[in-house]
Amino acid sequence: MEITVNKPLAETFGWLQAGAKRIDLQDKIQNISYVLGPGESRVLFLEDPGASEYEITLGEGARMDLVQLREASGKVLSYNNVRVKCGDKAYFGWYRVVLGGSESYDNCSVTLAGKESSFSANVCYRLDGTEKYDLNCEAVHTGKRTQSAISASGVLADNASKLMRGTIDFRTGCSGSVGNETEDVLLLSEEVRNQSVPVILCSEEDVVGNHGASIGRPDEDMLFYMETRGVDEETACEMLARAKIDSVIRKIPDELVQEKIRDKIQGKTRSRILGGE
Amino acid sequence: MKENKTYVEEGDRSFYDFRYEDKDSYKVASGLTPDIIRQISREKKDPDWMLEFRLRSLDIFAKTEMPNWGPSIEGLNMDNIVTYVRPNTERMHTDWNDVPEDIKNTFERLGIPQSERESLAGVGAQYDSELVYHNVRKEVAEQGVIYTDLESALRGEYADMIRSHFMKLVPPEDHKFAALHGAVWSGGSFVYVPPGADVEIPLQSYFRLNAPGAGQFEHTLIIVDKGARLHFIEGCSAPKYNVANLHAGCVELFVGEDATLRYSTIENWSKNMYNLNTKRAKVEKGGKIEWVSGSFGSHVSYLYPMSVLAGKGARCEFTGVTFAGAGQNLDTGCKVVHNAPDTSSYVNTRSISKSGGISTFRSAVVVNSKAHGSKSSVSCESLMLDSESRSDTIPAMDIRTNKADVGHEAKIGRISDEAVFYLMSRGLSEEEAKALIVSGFAENVSKELPLEYAVEMNNLIRIEMKGAIG
Amino acid sequence: MAQDLLKVEHLAASVEDAEILKDVSLRIGRGETHVIMGPNGAGKSTLAGVLMGNPAYTVTGGSALWEGEDLLELSVSERARKGLFLSFQNPVEVPGISLENFVRSAISQKTGKPVRVWSFRKEVKAALETLDMDPSYAERDLNVGFSGGEKKKAEILQLLLLKPSLAILDETDSGLDVDAVRTVSKGIEAFQADKSASLLIITHNAAILSALKVDAVHILAGGKIVAEGGPELVDKITKEGFAAYEGEA
Repeated sequence: MEITVNKPLAETFGWLQAGAKRIDLQDKIQNISYVLGPGESRVLFLEDPGASEYEITLGEGARMDLVQLREASGKVLSYNNVRVKCGDKAYFGWYRVVLGGSESYDNCSVTLAGKESSFSANVCYRLDGTEKYDLNCEAVHTGKRTQSAISASGVLADNASKLMRGTIDFRTGCSGSVGNETEDVLLLSEEVRNQSVPVILCSEEDVVGNHGASIGRPDEDMLFYMETRGVDEETACEMLARAKIDSVIRKIPDELVQEKIRDKIQGKTRSRILGGE
Repeated sequence: MKENKTYVEEGDRSFYDFRYEDKDSYKVASGLTPDIIRQISREKKDPDWMLEFRLRSLDIFAKTEMPNWGPSIEGLNMDNIVTYVRPNTERMHTDWNDVPEDIKNTFERLGIPQSERESLAGVGAQYDSELVYHNVRKEVAEQGVIYTDLESALRGEYADMIRSHFMKLVPPEDHKFAALHGAVWSGGSFVYVPPGADVEIPLQSYFRLNAPGAGQFEHTLIIVDKGARLHFIEGCSAPKYNVANLHAGCVELFVGEDATLRYSTIENWSKNMYNLNTKRAKVEKGGKIEWVSGSFGSHVSYLYPMSVLAGKGARCEFTGVTFAGAGQNLDTGCKVVHNAPDTSSYVNTRSISKSGGISTFRSAVVVNSKAHGSKSSVSCESLMLDSESRSDTIPAMDIRTNKADVGHEAKIGRISDEAVFYLMSRGLSEEEAKALIVSGFAENVSKELPLEYAVEMNNLIRIEMKGAIG
Repeated sequence: MAQDLLKVEHLAASVEDAEILKDVSLRIGRGETHVIMGPNGAGKSTLAGVLMGNPAYTVTGGSALWEGEDLLELSVSERARKGLFLSFQNPVEVPGISLENFVRSAISQKTGKPVRVWSFRKEVKAALETLDMDPSYAERDLNVGFSGGEKKKAEILQLLLLKPSLAILDETDSGLDVDAVRTVSKGIEAFQADKSASLLIITHNAAILSALKVDAVHILAGGKIVAEGGPELVDKITKEGFAAYEGEA
């Protein structure tokens, strides 16, 4: 089945080709929907089923933390589309850990419709070989005094490539809202490709929006410092790479889920880091 | 015509909005055909290669799609634009006294002769399509600096140099309006700075449109040779009409090894203008391009000066401010391509949106795999003055090597009530306080400009800010 | 005669085309404590950086041998694994990696074996106590948000855990209050307790030296060693300053 994924809210120049993609899905799309009533609270831990679409509706004061892990290796394509609508004072937390898979397409669109609703996205990825990751993350602020924080942090090695479009969209009427987006990408090989398109759209005066990104190799002074203690450059890079993933895992508000994910990662990265655990 | 609706309420811009009767002796028919192109070419006494180039460009223009990603240009009816309007002057003037009186008055009101006398090295003013006034100060000419109109240069001593550079950086295939430019370009400047020459005083040009419905397609070609330095200032201000106007100029800058070129523009087209301008610089080893860009006027703008850092250690600095008021949709920004090792780019922009104006910052930074050791830093800040307006920030980064450091920062916000209150407590009116804060916000650009331009820019901000209150 | 641990001969180095080190010769044996003093800009930190292999410096002449082997040929981490340690004046913040995990990785890289978690924890705890540091520092990200004094202590903590053969302390006492100098000095004493441990202390403050055994003092001025002597030289400098040596450079 062919579908169009990750259509961005704003186009870049035609030549940067950071627009929507048509992909061919091998699997049937699983449609999953969650409705949380007022005051309900849930932490969900899900491993990628392949192709899935989530429809999540959060009532007044409801809280949901969705933790999604993708750790496939080999030629596996994944499509993951999460759409969320937040009511008054509702909160949605998205924790996305991508540890491989030949091609991954993620979309997470959250509409902060209710007043004082909030959204926090914490994405981390580690890609090797020729793995590709295409991520579109949107926070649409329509309610008053809403807050969004999109943070992505990842590591690209070998010939891996990644495209991230993060959009904060302040719609007219969302007065008092705040949106922040940060991106931090560690590049470990000369052959990687990193594309970042951090977008802020704004049609409301009374808002604050910030974006910051830092992309490149590890800081030279930091590497030198680590090397003076006997850690060679490669290991230092791996330690920093792992620290990036761990910084996201640490934020997951459920220690059991944290442990589960660490166990999964362990196998994948043990060989890379001497004496890590 | 529907386009008449583009007329919008504005603050007092009467200082800039004046015009004289259209007395053009010669106009080509509306719409573009190969015959029109031949007519233009014949009139300009183009060399043969240029006629061929124009016809090829026309062909590309016909085949190329409109851009599908920026502000709407539906209000622009290409068939209605008279692409070539020749003013009623017979030849180039090097003496101010010979310039026809009505044209002279227009420039007089823009203050050009004074500024020329005081600090400027030369004036190349384009009135409609022909260069009507031209003068380079003697000492600049003595350094071997060539500053002339492009058309006569095409037939002169520098013909070969122009042929090997003309639309090589911005080929007509680039986009639809680059193709249009290639077909109908007319007028513009040619500057050549020989190796090692240091032009201390800025060279300056003014472009204006004066005929209703006239398009303007001037071409600027600047070559700064090895180790040379130049500051070139392009100033624009045009009267207002209620018919869509098109500006599709093209600027090509060649910055040689260890050379430095600063290219400053304060664009203040009238608010019915479609400004689809293409500017590009190629920087060789150790060279530096500095763009200083203020966008205030026009109805719709697509403007993204591009720097191609082609040689090791080449640098680019881009400093810009965009002010979008009522009825304006200004899509501005820049592009940088790092193609060589140890190149660096530094982009710092501000944008302001007011009274329903739309301002979009759009940028692209590409670091190719050859560009080891390169650095790029992009910082953009936007100010929203009310909730009818819109301000979008769309920066893209494409990094293809790990041997690079790329940073990006964007901020959006409003004028702080506290700051306004503070200034008002010291006796300023709300309007003055806000204008002062906005001027301060745009200081990244004004501090890079020669004083008289900084003053002009702050005047423009004051004019734009009027009516912002209440 | 026992072989020198470190033997530096006529070492010269530059940074960005400026020659900072002109002619430095030094021999440090096992268990010896050497002190380098000198006015600002003498090249003291450059010497420390060159020995550790900081890429900011280019060696332009001379040699440095580590147990007879060319030190300058080795990569930074190889030098560290041989047993060379440099305490930084301004240690870098490393977010995401805890102090304890970092040191544990460094040790396991040096030995090629995993570190036994429980006995290592005990050792960390003891070292933290020696340095009057709160146990929570082991869990905190390396140097992140540490005050100047805490960073210096964290450097000495790493010194105690990594147990190098030769530790270069680059102005570890600068910017510290009296109590902190005493604590840091206590840490250095603990390091000296191992009779084969050698030290190269760069300082211009005699306070940190008062409780330490000092074998030799070298005065560095204008990129050259201009005077050498025993501990008595420290007192002389404390009284008279460097004025007498600056002309000789």
